[in-house]
Amino acid sequence: MKALDDVSFSIEQGEVVLIVGSSGSGKSTLLNMIGLLDSPTNGSILIDETNTTTLNDSQISSFRNKKLGFIFQFSNLLTDLSVLENILLPRQIAGTDLTSEKQALDLLKAVGLETQIHKRANKISGGQAQRVAIARGLINKPSIVLADEPTGNLDSVTSDTIVQLMKSMARKLNQTFIVVTHDREHFGDVDRIITIKDGRAFEGEQPSTMEITA
Amino acid sequence: MKLAKRMLFNKKGSLIGAVLAVTIGILVIHVNFVIFQGLFDAIVRDISEYRNGDILVTNEDDYIDKSDSSIVSWFERISYVEAAAPRLSSTAEMEITKNGKLIEKTRVPVVGVDPFNDIRASTVHETVAEGTYVFSRNSIVLGNTVAEDLGGATVGDNVKVMIIDRWGEEQTKRFTVSGIAKSPGGQGFDYSTVIHIDTLRDMTNREDQTGSIMVKLKDPTKALEVKEFFLLSFPNDDFLAETIEESAEEQLAGFRSGIAMINMIGYFGMMSSAFAIVTIQMMLVNGKTREIGVMRAIGAKRKDILIIFIFQGMLIGAIGAGVGTATGLGYTFYAKETKMSFNNSLPLEVTYNWEKIIQTALASFVLAIIASLYPSYRATKLLPVEAMRTV
Repeated sequence: MKALDDVSFSIEQGEVVLIVGSSGSGKSTLLNMIGLLDSPTNGSILIDETNTTTLNDSQISSFRNKKLGFIFQFSNLLTDLSVLENILLPRQIAGTDLTSEKQALDLLKAVGLETQIHKRANKISGGQAQRVAIARGLINKPSIVLADEPTGNLDSVTSDTIVQLMKSMARKLNQTFIVVTHDREHFGDVDRIITIKDGRAFEGEQPSTMEITA
Repeated sequence: MKLAKRMLFNKKGSLIGAVLAVTIGILVIHVNFVIFQGLFDAIVRDISEYRNGDILVTNEDDYIDKSDSSIVSWFERISYVEAAAPRLSSTAEMEITKNGKLIEKTRVPVVGVDPFNDIRASTVHETVAEGTYVFSRNSIVLGNTVAEDLGGATVGDNVKVMIIDRWGEEQTKRFTVSGIAKSPGGQGFDYSTVIHIDTLRDMTNREDQTGSIMVKLKDPTKALEVKEFFLLSFPNDDFLAETIEESAEEQLAGFRSGIAMINMIGYFGMMSSAFAIVTIQMMLVNGKTREIGVMRAIGAKRKDILIIFIFQGMLIGAIGAGVGTATGLGYTFYAKETKMSFNNSLPLEVTYNWEKIIQTALASFVLAIIASLYPSYRATKLLPVEAMRTV
């Protein structure tokens, strides 16, 4: 059985795209493939004109680090590190963390956590952790930010804050946001919605044929 | 590196467990070294101090015919030499009358010493617990065991000594017990009797003959040099000169294999520590599966993950080697300061063997790194998506 079948679409730079669908429909699998965390058995994924299916493991890691930002459902912060260190982690991995502290502080200010920078990641609330995760996802100025159920674990007030934050960041930084969610009403107006049903992709309520060229 | 450190230090139980494993491995080796090498060195020390000196000169076939005083003088002109003393050995039959009862003992080893030179070249006179060392031609020192076998002979008792001379004639002489010798490890004259060398020469009819010359050096490391110089200086006298390692080889050979065996056990202990590190590191990897997945997802390469866990192995090795070496040195210091003895008798010869200490610490450090290779490799093999699903 195929998790995704005959899925083909393209997304433009700066678009905010929601991927919706019922549980088990394949939306997280699709997001993992776009994020190069999983690879398709057939077909190709083009990002910024790079055919990512031809990259080796090391190239994929570098690509993920430089071009992609991730926001996970459970924030997935490293509890051994402080808020600031978590945000700087992608930079540290890239080996360019020396001059990025100011940028991390700016991002923390943007997400409203400038007073929490030295707190350990496990000492902040779920909503704050998700905001830190957004800042971490943006620190490397990725072309595409991938968010997997970013509000799935939050109450509705915090979810609204997170959604507004992501949308304002997308506009401000002209970044592509691809968000997998069950919670489409929280996101209000977005550029596009892709529905996944039984492993197939549809634009809105219509079957869709697209190519990924973000 | 900071992350590796934090990951490790936030898991204090695992860190302490891994460090303890390395520490115990090193401590076992240090304790083995202090006890068994200390015992070995103590025996070498006592054989050297009491019997063979740093160099033992004998004749290849028979007795030394050359004048003992000329050989002693020759040696004492060398700046490395502290003193030299002649000795002659034989066996005797002894009789003593205690409380009106005649007690006989046969085949008692007799050692003839030159009291003046002997107390300079040997410390065996210090083992005389009661009375004094041989000081005249009719005084005798009995080994503790011999004294007991002679019905509890004490200082001042009169003993009859019978020796068969070189011509097969029985020679008898009466002696007054001047002292009873008892050495802590039994390497002294506990099973022998000691008389004046000239008396023994008279009784054995070996005037001007000497059994051996023991030579004590100021610096025992020069033994080989002095020995070779001696043999070169007397090429025609059939002398046999041996360093303590050579002369005591027969007595020490078995012991040496025992020490090698004990060392093997120590190194097996170290291997067990390595297995403990593998287990603890595997636990660390399992406990950090989700974090590894997250790091991989945000761009960490396999080699970055490998470096994190190998660095943790290095930290465990460095801390373990440091604590283990410090604890081992503490034990060595304690053993040295308290003059630790084996079986409550023989004082151990405790030394700081820095080469071995550094070698053990380095071996533990390297072993900890090697032990962390497999868990690190396993960490690199985790798939990000699956790893992040781990709670």
